[in-house]
Amino acid sequence: MPMATRRSALAEGWSAVWAQRSARWGMGIVLAYVLAALFAPWLATHDPVHQAVEASMQPPSAAHWLGTDSFGQDIYSRLLYGARLALAIGFGSVLLGMVAGVALGLLAGLAGGRTEWAIMRVVDGLLAFPELILAMAFLAVLGPGVDNLVYALALSFVGPFARTVRSDVLQVRAQPYVEAARLMGVPMREIVVRHVLLNVAPGIVVQAGIRVSIAILLESGLSFLGVGVAPPTPDWGLMIAEGRAFITMAPWIAGIPGVALAILLVALNLLADGLRDALDPRSGEAR
Amino acid sequence: MDHPAVAEEDVPLLSLQAFSLARGKVDVLDNVAFELGRGQTIGLIGESGAGKSTIALAIIGLLRPPEVALRGSIRFDGVELTGLAEAQYRQLRGNRIGLVFQDATAALNPCFTVGAQLAEPLSRHLGLRGNERRQRSIELLESVGIGEAALRLDAFPHELSGGMQQRVMIAMALACDPQLLIADEPTSALDVTIQAQIMELILERVRARSASAIFVLHDLALAAQVCDRVVVLYAGQVVEVAPAGELFAAPRHPYTRALRACSIELGQEQVLAPIPGSVPGLEDLPAGCRFAPRCDRASAQCAQTPPLVSDGIRSVACWHA
Amino acid sequence: MPNRFLAQVGQTALVLFFVSVASFVFLKLAPGDPVSLMLGSDYNKDSYDRLFTELGLDRPWMVQYTTWLGNFVTGDWGRSFVSNEDIFRLAVMQALPVTLCLAAYAMVLALLVGIPAGVLSALKRDTWMDLCATGVAVFGNAFPSFYLGIVLIWVFGVGLGWFPTLGFVAPWEDPLEGLWYLTLPAITLAAWYIGLIARVTRASLLDVLGHSYILAARARGEGATRVVWVHAMRNVLMPLTTTLGLQLGGMLRGAVMTEVVFALPGLGMMITAATLNREYTVVQAGVMLSGLLFVLVNLMVDQLYTWLDPRLRRLA
Repeated sequence: MPMATRRSALAEGWSAVWAQRSARWGMGIVLAYVLAALFAPWLATHDPVHQAVEASMQPPSAAHWLGTDSFGQDIYSRLLYGARLALAIGFGSVLLGMVAGVALGLLAGLAGGRTEWAIMRVVDGLLAFPELILAMAFLAVLGPGVDNLVYALALSFVGPFARTVRSDVLQVRAQPYVEAARLMGVPMREIVVRHVLLNVAPGIVVQAGIRVSIAILLESGLSFLGVGVAPPTPDWGLMIAEGRAFITMAPWIAGIPGVALAILLVALNLLADGLRDALDPRSGEAR
Repeated sequence: MDHPAVAEEDVPLLSLQAFSLARGKVDVLDNVAFELGRGQTIGLIGESGAGKSTIALAIIGLLRPPEVALRGSIRFDGVELTGLAEAQYRQLRGNRIGLVFQDATAALNPCFTVGAQLAEPLSRHLGLRGNERRQRSIELLESVGIGEAALRLDAFPHELSGGMQQRVMIAMALACDPQLLIADEPTSALDVTIQAQIMELILERVRARSASAIFVLHDLALAAQVCDRVVVLYAGQVVEVAPAGELFAAPRHPYTRALRACSIELGQEQVLAPIPGSVPGLEDLPAGCRFAPRCDRASAQCAQTPPLVSDGIRSVACWHA
Repeated sequence: MPNRFLAQVGQTALVLFFVSVASFVFLKLAPGDPVSLMLGSDYNKDSYDRLFTELGLDRPWMVQYTTWLGNFVTGDWGRSFVSNEDIFRLAVMQALPVTLCLAAYAMVLALLVGIPAGVLSALKRDTWMDLCATGVAVFGNAFPSFYLGIVLIWVFGVGLGWFPTLGFVAPWEDPLEGLWYLTLPAITLAAWYIGLIARVTRASLLDVLGHSYILAARARGEGATRVVWVHAMRNVLMPLTTTLGLQLGGMLRGAVMTEVVFALPGLGMMITAATLNREYTVVQAGVMLSGLLFVLVNLMVDQLYTWLDPRLRRLA
C-alpha cells in the first residue's frame, strides 16, 4: 500500500503540473534545451572554440548559421555548448546546494535544541548575504572556473533549502499521525524516511524549481562580469560580454545568446510556477 | 416631491415581483415575489443555498449585471431598482438601505479604525465633517450599547470582541437612519449568550426609527418571534409566505412543516425530525416542484411546477396544501 | 510591540555578528599573504617580520578578530592596494550613495508601473489586458538584467539617442542631470521588479476583493474606485511589503549587474572590480557592507510590516 500511494501521489503531482498550459510550455522548452545540450557534439557545425580571425564578426550565413563573433568563433556551435554549460552548472549547483541544505534542514528540524539553534544561526548568516555577493566573494577566494562556480552557487543555495526543509519538518512533526507513529514505537529513522521526507519533498522540489533559474541567471551574470568561467569557454554570459562592445556593428554576437538565455529563463520560471502551484499552493506568491 | 403623500402610504416600501437572478446559466433565484410594508419586519427563511443572502445582496445592489443577469422587478419606495444607474444606487446604499453582515469580524476592514469606517456613510451621505461627524459617531456607538464610545472610535476591529464588532456593524448600517435595514443572519457568528442581546438591539433600533427590516434567518422559531411576516425559500423559489405567528402555528407547505419539526422550542418535549435528503444543486434541479424528491407527500402532480397561490393573507406553492 | 521590536533587533545583532565573523574568515581564507602583497616583490625577512607584527598577524585569531571589528566599527577599513585610497571613503562615501540612488529610483519606477499594472490585471481579469500584463510580468521577471541593459543602451541610447549610455552624474550635485543619467539603469533594474510587483498585486488584490469587508464598504455606499484603491489596496500593501522584503537579494543582484553594464561607480562595480583585481580587503568591505545593508533593510521591512498591519501594531 505505501508503494501504491507513493506512486499515485507522484502521478497526481505530475498531472497537476501538466494540467497548466504555461507549465507545459515551460517544460517543452526546457526539454528542447536539454536535448540540444545533450546532443551538442552532433548538432554543432563547428568547433566551439576554434578561432578564425579571417572569418570574424560575420552575420548569419549558410556557413555560420548564427554568424561569428569577434574571434571568428561559430556562434551557433558556441550556443549549443553554452547550453550544456548553463544547464550543467544550473542543475549541478542546485543539486549540491539542495543536498547540503536538506541535510542541514533535516538535522536542525529533527534534532531541535542547541543543535537546531546553532545550525539555524549559521543559515541566518548565509542568508544575510545577497546570493550574488556571496558567490562573488567565494569566487574571489577560489578564483574563476567551472567547478568553483558550481561550489560558489551551491553555497548560496544552502540557506534557502535548509530554511524550507526545517520549517516543513517542524510542521510535519506536529502532525498527529507522526505523533501516533512515534507513540506506537516506530523508530525515528523510519518516521523520517516514511513521513517526513515524503512530506517535505514537494517543498524541496518547488524550491529547486525556483533556484535552477536563479542559478543559471547568476552563472551567466557572473561570467558576464568576468568572475565566472574563463574565456574561451563557450558560455552565454561571456558571449554577451564579448559582443557588448560590437552591439551597433554586429548585434547578433550579444543578441543571440541573450535571447537564448532569456527564453530558457522564462521557460524555467513558467515551469517553477507550475510546480509551485501544483505542489505547494499555500506558498502563493510569497516565495 | 412629485408623488402625493397619500400614495406614498399605499405603496409598500419594498416589493419584489417575478424577480429572477442568474449567474451564468444557473438560476440562483427563480420568480421570487414578496412585499414589505412600512414599519414592517419580514423574515427570509431557508436552508443554506436557498438564496436568502442573494436576495439581500440583490436588493442593496451588490449583485448586478454584468456579474449576474436579472429579470423581474425590485421596487424600493416606488423606484425601480433593477435598472438604476450605479451612481444613484450608491445614494441608496448605506443611506436609505442599511446592511448588517453575518460575520462582523470579516465585514470590518482590519486596516482601518472603527471610527474611520463609521465615518464613511456619515460624510458620504450626510456630508458631516470634523467634530460634528465625530460627535455623531459617538452617539451612534452609544446608541448600540457601546461604552467608552470615544475611545472605541480609535480602536481597530481586532481590538473589539465579536459582539462589540457586530454592534459596530449595526451602528454603521443605521448611521444614516435608513428606511430599510437588511440583517443577514446577524447573530449566527456570535456566542449563543449574546445572540439574543444583539437581536433585541436591532429590533429596538428598527422600531425606534419606525424603519422596515428584512431578517435573513435559518431558524424558523426565531423568525416567528422577531418578524411580522415570513417568506420561506427553497432552492431559489418562494414556497410559502405568511404572517409569522400563523406560519409557525400552522405551516402549510410540507417544507415549512419539516422546518417547523426541526426547530427547537424551550421547555417542550419533542422529537426533532431531520429532513431526509439534501437541497438539490442549482445546476440539476428536478422538474416541477423542487422539494418533491424530499417530500413525503409527493405525487405525480408534483412533476408540474406548483404556482404560488394566495388567499389574501397567506400564500403557498404546493399542490397538496 | 516593544518586545517584538527588541526581539528583532536582537536577532539582527546576532546575524550581524555572524556577518562580521564570516567576513573576517573570508579574509583569512583569501589566498596570498597580505604582508607580501603589501610589500610587493622586493622585500627582506626583516621588513617582512616587522610588518607581520605591525599588522598583528602573530596574535591569536580572537584578538585579530576583535581588533579588526574595532577598526571596522570606527571606520578604519584600511587602504586599497591598487589606488591607495581609504576603503571606507571608497565604499561608504562614494559607492554606497550611487547604489542607493539607483535602487531607490528603480523602486519608485517599479511601484509606479507595477501596482497599476497589477490592479488593472486583477480588475480586468482573464481579458487580453490581464494576459498582456501577466506576459510582461513573466518576461520582466525572467529577463537577465545585464542583457536588458545592453538592449536598452542599444535602442534608447545608441539608436534613438534619448538617454546617455554610460557614465554617472551625482544626483545630489545636479539632480536633473543625475536622474537623466540614472534613468536607463533604473528602468533596467526596475523591469525585474515591475513583473514581481504586478504579479503580487494582482494575486493579493484578487484575494482581498473576495473578503466581505469589501462588500461591506460598498454596502455603505462607497464607490468602486475608492473601494479598490483605499479599502482593498491598504490590505494589499502587507503581502506586497513581505514579497519586496523577500526579494531584496534579487534587487542587489540586479543592481550589481546594472552598475557594471552602465559603468556606474556603485557598490556592485566596486566589488566586481575588486574581485577581478584580487583586492581582498575591498571585496571584504563590500561583502560586509552589503550584508549589513541587507540585514538592516530586512529589519526595516519587518518594522514597516508591523506598522502596516494594525493587528501586529497594537499587540502588547
